Amino acid sequence: MGSVSPAASPQTAGSSITDLVIQWASRHARLLAPFITLIALFAFFSWRTEVFLTTRNLQNVITQVAPIAVAATGVTFVLLCAEIDLSIASVATFSAMMAAWFWVGDPIHLGSWGILAGVLIGAGLGLINGIFIAYIGIPSFMMTLAMLTIAKGLTTYVNDGKPIFEEPDILRRISSAGNLFMGIPVIGIIAAIVLAIGHIILAYTRFGRHVYMTGGNREAAEMSGVDTKRVIMLVMTFCALTCGVAGMLLLGRVGQVGAESNPDLLINTIAAVVLGGTSLFGGEGGMLNTVLGLLIFAVLSNGLNLLPELSIYFKGALTGIILLAALLLNVVALRLENVQRRSD
Amino acid sequence: MIANVNQTSVSPDSAQEPGSVVQPVLSVRNVTKRFGGATALNGVDFDLLPGEIHGLVGENGAGKSTLVKILSGVQRPDEGEVSLNGTSIRFRSPADAKAQGIGMIFQELTLMPSLTVAENVFLGRQPTRFGVVDWRRIKRESAEQLSEFGIEIDVTDRIGRLSLGNQQLVEIARVINSGADIIILDEPTSALSPPEAERLFQLMRNLKASGKSLIFISHFLEDVLAISDRVTVLKNSNLVGTYQASELTKHRLVQLMIGRDDSTLAESYESGVALPAPIESRAVLSVRDLACEGEFQDITFDVHKGEILGLFGYLGAGMTEIARALFGTLKTQNGHITLDDQLYKPKTPTQAKRSGLAYLSENRRATLFPKHEIYKNVTLAHLEHLVKPVFRHPSEIAVVGPLIERTGVRPKNAELPAGHLSGGNQQKVVLAKWLTQQPKVLILNEPTRGMDVGAKREVLDLVRELKDEGVAILILSTEPETVLTESDRILVLSKGSITKEFANETVSKEDLLLYA
Repeated sequence: MGSVSPAASPQTAGSSITDLVIQWASRHARLLAPFITLIALFAFFSWRTEVFLTTRNLQNVITQVAPIAVAATGVTFVLLCAEIDLSIASVATFSAMMAAWFWVGDPIHLGSWGILAGVLIGAGLGLINGIFIAYIGIPSFMMTLAMLTIAKGLTTYVNDGKPIFEEPDILRRISSAGNLFMGIPVIGIIAAIVLAIGHIILAYTRFGRHVYMTGGNREAAEMSGVDTKRVIMLVMTFCALTCGVAGMLLLGRVGQVGAESNPDLLINTIAAVVLGGTSLFGGEGGMLNTVLGLLIFAVLSNGLNLLPELSIYFKGALTGIILLAALLLNVVALRLENVQRRSD
Repeated sequence: MIANVNQTSVSPDSAQEPGSVVQPVLSVRNVTKRFGGATALNGVDFDLLPGEIHGLVGENGAGKSTLVKILSGVQRPDEGEVSLNGTSIRFRSPADAKAQGIGMIFQELTLMPSLTVAENVFLGRQPTRFGVVDWRRIKRESAEQLSEFGIEIDVTDRIGRLSLGNQQLVEIARVINSGADIIILDEPTSALSPPEAERLFQLMRNLKASGKSLIFISHFLEDVLAISDRVTVLKNSNLVGTYQASELTKHRLVQLMIGRDDSTLAESYESGVALPAPIESRAVLSVRDLACEGEFQDITFDVHKGEILGLFGYLGAGMTEIARALFGTLKTQNGHITLDDQLYKPKTPTQAKRSGLAYLSENRRATLFPKHEIYKNVTLAHLEHLVKPVFRHPSEIAVVGPLIERTGVRPKNAELPAGHLSGGNQQKVVLAKWLTQQPKVLILNEPTRGMDVGAKREVLDLVRELKDEGVAILILSTEPETVLTESDRILVLSKGSITKEFANETVSKEDLLLYA
């Protein structure tokens, strides 16, 4: 049946170097655009501020972004499936609350094992999300909005409305900014490991491929024998699991947890993933995009704090503006791709 | 005074005499429409008289829809003239044509399912009283209007709760309510049950009696002959002629549609294809008395190892539904299926796939991942056989390379997004997906629709190759040629039932059309 002649076949004959470059760039626009943005921002802040390009500050950037990075791993899976999870922050907080509660040990004392229990409880909420979305057919937007409220309510309920000001020792040790390994904050290394696991799953396993194809064309995936419902259920569970881990890192850093903890986690995580270029419409993007998005987000929010001209009180509004810009890019990219396809 | 004044002879190419007694309400002279290199309509004449029902028939691709699109302002002719009540006119848009009194009823209805019947009838033109919508008037007038046409429906009911047939009647009422004098119905009966269709015909007769003119497009030739005053036949973008329905028989109409002339070349199959002697091998898939309410009933057939069974029927004959039932996406109420002599009850496509079935859907949107690379499209269905435990890019490409070579995908670059390929090549990609593991039963729904001759040939050659390797193959098509070319046996379906089996005999396109 003929020879094996894969990838190497030539491009359309007669195209010049510039054409090839443009072709290559347009096909990789989803990675290229955020990469260039990142370089530009990095250069800008290094030039405008004294502090930005110091080891101390960069360590700071990594410490700040690490919990977001862990949650963003799960959110990337969710967006690739063309779903959304609005409950990430409250699930993270609830997981952390459970860990702290088990640590305090009244009435159930689990010690450090409470961390594992908390993460698993968070994953359980994700499983509930997944079952309702995939098998009962509630839109993920509504389901996770409900879960946001439920998890937040449970966080309040567990300790009768009071925050807990204790944390497992191990979390404090891991998350402290001074805990470095070869000059890199340990919390950042943990985040990198989670991101790497996410990348391996997405790029090299059957499940990862199913995630992409489910998001790319759910009907076609189903007709190819992919169990799309199971994929969506597992993705929602995985997302909640990563949020649980993120919650632990935040608990370790802040040292306390209550219903009002982590107010910015939801918006920051989604902003970071979308900034990286992962499509809100499913099927396109990946962990590399998310890594770029996280770095852009971290550099931007850290750098803007260092700019003397900018009021610190404006920062909240700025995060929203950044997210809006990312959404705009996302939609524009989609349009451009469609135009390109039509002209093909 | 209307129907028989104008004399049309039964010989082709007879246009009307200029200055005939009755002036047509809508007429088309010498209209030509090209798309790229292909001619969709070639110098066609067409007249619609006041108060007539005018049937429009022809095979798929004969030019019916192009003609109708020109009449309803969706497309503009490249040459020729359209005139309305004797004056030449150029429609700028569908809205423009609508404003001139031309209403169009499409196969897919455009009603709002969550609104009531009355709201739908007045959609977009609600009468107001003191600046607010006059709901009482809407209810009263829509009820009056519907009963005037003999439609008895509760106008406060939501549209989504009505049967498809009733929805269609409401759609027609809406089009008339918007002031249409000329109504074009495109395949209105294909999804209707016989009593529903009968009610539609009654409404059409009432409309005709009140002086409206109707154009009726349908594959169901009996229906066309029963209700039309005159029938226009198109073939290969050309006008065959316009005939008095009373002078035609179904047989004659089929002949006119297929044509006895030479222009269709070898692919016309008019002289018939000799089906081979029945295959002796064992039956791989056996279907017994399968039924799904409202879709099909009493479906019984076998497909043998190394056999191609062709299923022919028009849209709405239930073929796609049978395929969906076999692939686990449609629940059946009755009957049973056996696969390799074991009871086979698919509940999901995943199960069907694991049992050894492969299904190429007619709906391209449901088969292709346009933004993803060709190789990802191809390996998806059988990833578990290709990767353990994680996959690597080179090994995936090595599996896909020979497959796209075999199916003849061009360009032969597995890294290209599948959406960048032409339609025919996309279909080859989808076919390649099901060949990573040899299926026991391959179901092909419209495998070659919209392909050029070369691509068609390649796909059909591949299908024959698979047959020789022992795959049991089902080909479903609304195009008689596709079924005739490759099948060992042919079943004809009509309105959800098998009406005829052809085996071990000579069969022509005409035979197929007669039973459909």
